[in-house]
Amino acid sequence: MIRLSPQLRAAIQRTTLPVLILLSAAIIVLGKADRMLFDSLSAFTADRLAPALATVSRPLGAVGDVIDRVRGFVGTYEENLRLVRENERLLRWQQAALDLAADNQKLRGLVKAVPNAAVSFVTARVIANSGGAYVRTLMIDAGKEQRLARGQAAITGEGLVGRLTEVGNRAARVLLITDLNSRIPVVIDSSHTNAVLAGDNSERPRLIYQSTADGVKIGDRVVTSGEGGVFPPGLPVGVVSAIDAGGPRVEPFVELSQLGYVMIVDYGLSESLPQPVPFVERPGARSKAAAAAKESAAR
Amino acid sequence: MALKVFSIPALPRVNGSLARLLPIATTLVAALVTILPLRIPGYAALTPAFTLMAAYHWTIYRPDLLPPLALFAIGLAEDLLVGAPVGVTALLLLLTYASVLSYRRYFVNRTFPFVWTGFTLLTLCAMLALWALHCVLDATLLDFRTTIFRTVLTIAIFPVASFLLGRTQRALMSAS
Repeated sequence: MIRLSPQLRAAIQRTTLPVLILLSAAIIVLGKADRMLFDSLSAFTADRLAPALATVSRPLGAVGDVIDRVRGFVGTYEENLRLVRENERLLRWQQAALDLAADNQKLRGLVKAVPNAAVSFVTARVIANSGGAYVRTLMIDAGKEQRLARGQAAITGEGLVGRLTEVGNRAARVLLITDLNSRIPVVIDSSHTNAVLAGDNSERPRLIYQSTADGVKIGDRVVTSGEGGVFPPGLPVGVVSAIDAGGPRVEPFVELSQLGYVMIVDYGLSESLPQPVPFVERPGARSKAAAAAKESAAR
Repeated sequence: MALKVFSIPALPRVNGSLARLLPIATTLVAALVTILPLRIPGYAALTPAFTLMAAYHWTIYRPDLLPPLALFAIGLAEDLLVGAPVGVTALLLLLTYASVLSYRRYFVNRTFPFVWTGFTLLTLCAMLALWALHCVLDATLLDFRTTIFRTVLTIAIFPVASFLLGRTQRALMSAS
């Protein structure tokens, strides 16, 4: 080991702090200038720490289960009555759904409709969330090893949770629909009004860019429209719960702060999401692409 | 700015590698607790700034055992894990360290209410700065209410954190 003189060591010790402060500031600016710059580093960190986080969050999940169970015991009788009533109602709906499904099948056959793409899904555990007021993300303990890819939808039985933004080998990040950077093309079920569901870090995202001015009422159901090709059409998202100065607000069907598990669904659509531009540009790649474009134009 | 401000005071030597690692280890645990998925409604947004508490505590009592490089690394790792703008937590922790270190002599050997008041001031400044920084980074005016609740929660939880940190500190450091 190199032996430093006491003066030099003291000098290093004194300058570390200012240098690191400046470095942090520089990193913030760099990260802002190029959003993709830290994505791979972030995925790498998540990958390395995923096993540790999974281990630590497991007992927490158990504690949550115990609390749920105790809460469940308290209201068992009322819950049972409610479920019996609900079951009666749902059986009627089931009959209706079966009739409609049979009809649908017949009609699809008549008009030779293209069948829906095959769907595969992976269930993953939530191992970390974004502690803090400025981002709304989750980390899950599945990644490329489970064939997850950027852009796939995260859902639960109730509805849409978000989409994958970074995928490592063993961990991936879900951008929740409430995050400031989340924009999802949706449609109002009853009036077929198209809109974009824009997160603003609050519990209830807003609807912006509505195709018709008065097509939204409180209580309307909001589902994905499938426009832009990232999500399939018809995934349940939430209910319009209020209309204030900033526009209608949507209460998500999923209780986003209480998620233990999410399903990542592959609808085979993730290729349509623009892929991150590689940081290092290969020499000649652009000119080759330009030449190819020119060639195809000449034809 | 005079670099003398950043010089670390001479403190009684702590033997035992476990005790020497305590400040770094507890700050790391604080970062971990911040991102653990507790299933409490609305908790994620209001998670108290645990790392800030650890950084404040150790800068006052054992700044010699909390190297800025460790704060930098922990802050960076936390940002990378939660998907926040990278560098923000690192900058926050380092600035906390720098500012508390320069006022450190007013806080050592004082009663807890005094230390708590110091933390309150620090948290108010830190949360306001964080809010302003995120507004600039996202180029929008962000909702200030969440920040207020988070600030209040952080200040309210500090006595518990301080008690736990102080207990571990006494248990491990005086024994060695």
